[in-house]
Amino acid sequence: MLVLQTALNGLVLGGVYSLAAVGFSLIFGALGIVNLTHGIFVICGAYASMMLFHGLSVDPFFATIPVAFVFFFVGYVYQRYLIQLAVSRASLVASLLVTFGVALIARNLLQLGFSPDVRTITPSYSFSSLVIGGLRVDMVRLIGVGVSLVLLSLMALLLAKTAFGRRIRATAQQPLAANLSGVNVPHVFGQTFGLGAAFAAAAGAVLGIVQPFSPSAEEFWTLNAFIVVVLGGVGSPSGALLGGILLGLISSFTAQYVGPSFTNAVMFLVLVVMLLVRPHGLLGSAFGESR
Amino acid sequence: MMRFLGLAGAVAAAAVLPEFLPPFYVRVVQFFFFSAALALAWNIMGGFAGYWSFGHTVFIGMGGFAAAHLVTALGLSAGPVQMVTGIVFGALFCGAFAAIIAYPILRLRGIYFAIAMLGISQVVAELANNVSWVKGDVGLFIETKLPGDIAPERFYYYVFGGLLLVTALASFLILRSRFGYGLLAIREDEDTAKMLGVPTEKLKILGFVASAALVGMLGATYAYSLGYFTTGSLFRVDFSLNMIIYCLIGGIGTIAGPILGAAVMLFLTQVVLGGVLELHLLVTGAVVVVIVLSMPDGIMGLLGSLTTRKPATPPAPASPEVAR
Amino acid sequence: MTATPILSGRDVTKKFRGLTAIDSVDFELQEGRIYGLIGPNGAGKSTLFNLVTAYYPLTTGEIRYRGERIDGLPTYRLNQIGIARAFQISKPFPAITVRENVRVGALYGVPGPRDVDAVTEDVLALTGLGEMADRKSGGLPVGNLRKLEIARALATRPKVLLADEPCAGLNPSETSDMMECLRNISRRGVVVWLVEHDMRAVMGVCDWIYVLEAGAKIAEGNPQDVVRNPRVIEAYLGVAPPAAAEETA
Repeated sequence: MLVLQTALNGLVLGGVYSLAAVGFSLIFGALGIVNLTHGIFVICGAYASMMLFHGLSVDPFFATIPVAFVFFFVGYVYQRYLIQLAVSRASLVASLLVTFGVALIARNLLQLGFSPDVRTITPSYSFSSLVIGGLRVDMVRLIGVGVSLVLLSLMALLLAKTAFGRRIRATAQQPLAANLSGVNVPHVFGQTFGLGAAFAAAAGAVLGIVQPFSPSAEEFWTLNAFIVVVLGGVGSPSGALLGGILLGLISSFTAQYVGPSFTNAVMFLVLVVMLLVRPHGLLGSAFGESR
Repeated sequence: MMRFLGLAGAVAAAAVLPEFLPPFYVRVVQFFFFSAALALAWNIMGGFAGYWSFGHTVFIGMGGFAAAHLVTALGLSAGPVQMVTGIVFGALFCGAFAAIIAYPILRLRGIYFAIAMLGISQVVAELANNVSWVKGDVGLFIETKLPGDIAPERFYYYVFGGLLLVTALASFLILRSRFGYGLLAIREDEDTAKMLGVPTEKLKILGFVASAALVGMLGATYAYSLGYFTTGSLFRVDFSLNMIIYCLIGGIGTIAGPILGAAVMLFLTQVVLGGVLELHLLVTGAVVVVIVLSMPDGIMGLLGSLTTRKPATPPAPASPEVAR
Repeated sequence: MTATPILSGRDVTKKFRGLTAIDSVDFELQEGRIYGLIGPNGAGKSTLFNLVTAYYPLTTGEIRYRGERIDGLPTYRLNQIGIARAFQISKPFPAITVRENVRVGALYGVPGPRDVDAVTEDVLALTGLGEMADRKSGGLPVGNLRKLEIARALATRPKVLLADEPCAGLNPSETSDMMECLRNISRRGVVVWLVEHDMRAVMGVCDWIYVLEAGAKIAEGNPQDVVRNPRVIEAYLGVAPPAAAEETA
């Protein structure tokens, strides 16, 4: 029974991790940019959701929509007018550093604006939980997983079925060819980044009810996303889902059977081993091995 | 020759400087020596060979813990022998650990190597905190006996100053040697380096071990300077990041660069903004963004482009010579 | 020819997932000569060079250097025994100077006593790079990048130099410079093996030419014979009007 409960906890946690990582994964896979501002987007989403909840009593579940919308534009502008500048001036490594610098600035600003304290969002259903056949799952986590699955499917559909998604995939694989066939490549890069940012912030909006957050938690979410990508595969919602679930299971089983203080050690151990064995993740890169 | 005289002058000035500084600033300069030496040691792998580690703080921690455990186990009483033993062992221990993880970890390139190093530093830190005999959670004492009645900040000022010289000298010798050229070739293009007969695997491992041993030496010394430390005081992510930032600001892959970068950033954060701790991240972040966008080769690159006379534009491509 | 060839291959074959890129190619390089390797685009010329320099492992066959098996050795070892390669796409070390680029080759390469400075300066002079030795190689124009590629390989003191399209993108005058440079290298006792598109250049400089088509060797011989070979003409020009064949010669 304990094994099942642990597995369930892991799956639920993993579902949330997947959503929190998919934006990072898309940006890394399609643009080759390791976005160290990712955790900031997630945390900003959580703070935005908190303000909407306290100020306008908007349920975090619905907060995802406006938050995603706003962060699409934030991401678009950020990519086109700052990151692209770094890429064209120097290199992709420079873009890594610029996102790192911006993350430091943003974290400091969040600390000044919201204080470094840990916050939570507590809607009415916060403390209720569901019991099925002896297995218990918190309501908020269940909702978190539900939202995660819906949004992940949405992104999968968007990438696979729409003209917008096809443009993103084409540009990621063959920027030059896409350019020659009339695609406005810088615009698509910006849109791709915007989409990644939107999903990160939407994830944050929901995560706020699942897990406490503070400005310094951004580091955790960036690393988390990296581990998910390394486990599952780069650039695809299915890779993020697989990686997230594996990470969730690893965390919950380590906490249960080795000790909660070892979860980080084991998580990073798995990261290092995966990097050595299969750096492109179990599902490989959705955009080919070009990077 | 001019350079040598300049260096001798700088060393002499640094030697008498504590006479004129209040203890707080002696401590600031001491921390600058430590930070600059760390950045230089990181620079051997990150700057020369192009392998950016995001987790070099692991060697600070392992150096400190190894030193403290060894001198306790040997039952050495505080004094010069005990201190040198601890520091040398810290360096050797880190060098050995680096040699063990080198082969698998150095097969990774770019961001994957960087993140794997971050992962390793996190794993080791968590283990130091949770494996009871390491005592990372409750903390360790490492005793020192200062010679004569010298104030601690002065004593460590000279110790770290000496170690900075050692690290700079090691970097200089490496950069000038065949080994150094091999590392540069690896940084520029590892596959091409192989084509030129550079034994890349061997050189990368050597560079990694050298870098780790130097950081281990500095970490052990830092542990002595603290006297009492826990996991949190040595395995600090900000140490790892600062090593990179200092190199980046000063000029990565150079020798003066990391020292200059550490000087600029510490002056900015400790002296100018000493009173407003809550803005440090913002300032650091802003400096990183500005440097990357405006001077990708750091301060040294900027100085270089001002002093060396380069043709402003490359000469026009040779037109086909008709009369040959 | 009875002497042991300096470099030889027998039944050299490479398959990528069932696709045969190089199909049972034999070759034999003797000291003191300049060899050519020609063929239409996609014939497998660069792939063959990649096999010789152990960029990929062979599927079957063997490669020998002075009679000793060398397939399976790591790339840097091949360079140390005396096989150097200049890439088709120039890969200078962009952030260091031209001289430092060459110096890396002189410091490593074939082991043994040498005066690193002398080798460096000698190679710089031989390839005509002396004037720009202190410039960062990242900003060099194409012609000089090609020379640098050759210079750096030469600095490793090879016995065999594989040069992959050293004239691609060069104007006629630069091309003839490059050919003169290769002749000088050959005079110093380095066996040069050249992949080239510019037929005129190949014909002028090579003693012996291998022709690949679709991964297989379709002809070999001295330049005069190769250009008259009907299979070569067909491979290059489709169904060839005789006049065109004359022109390339």
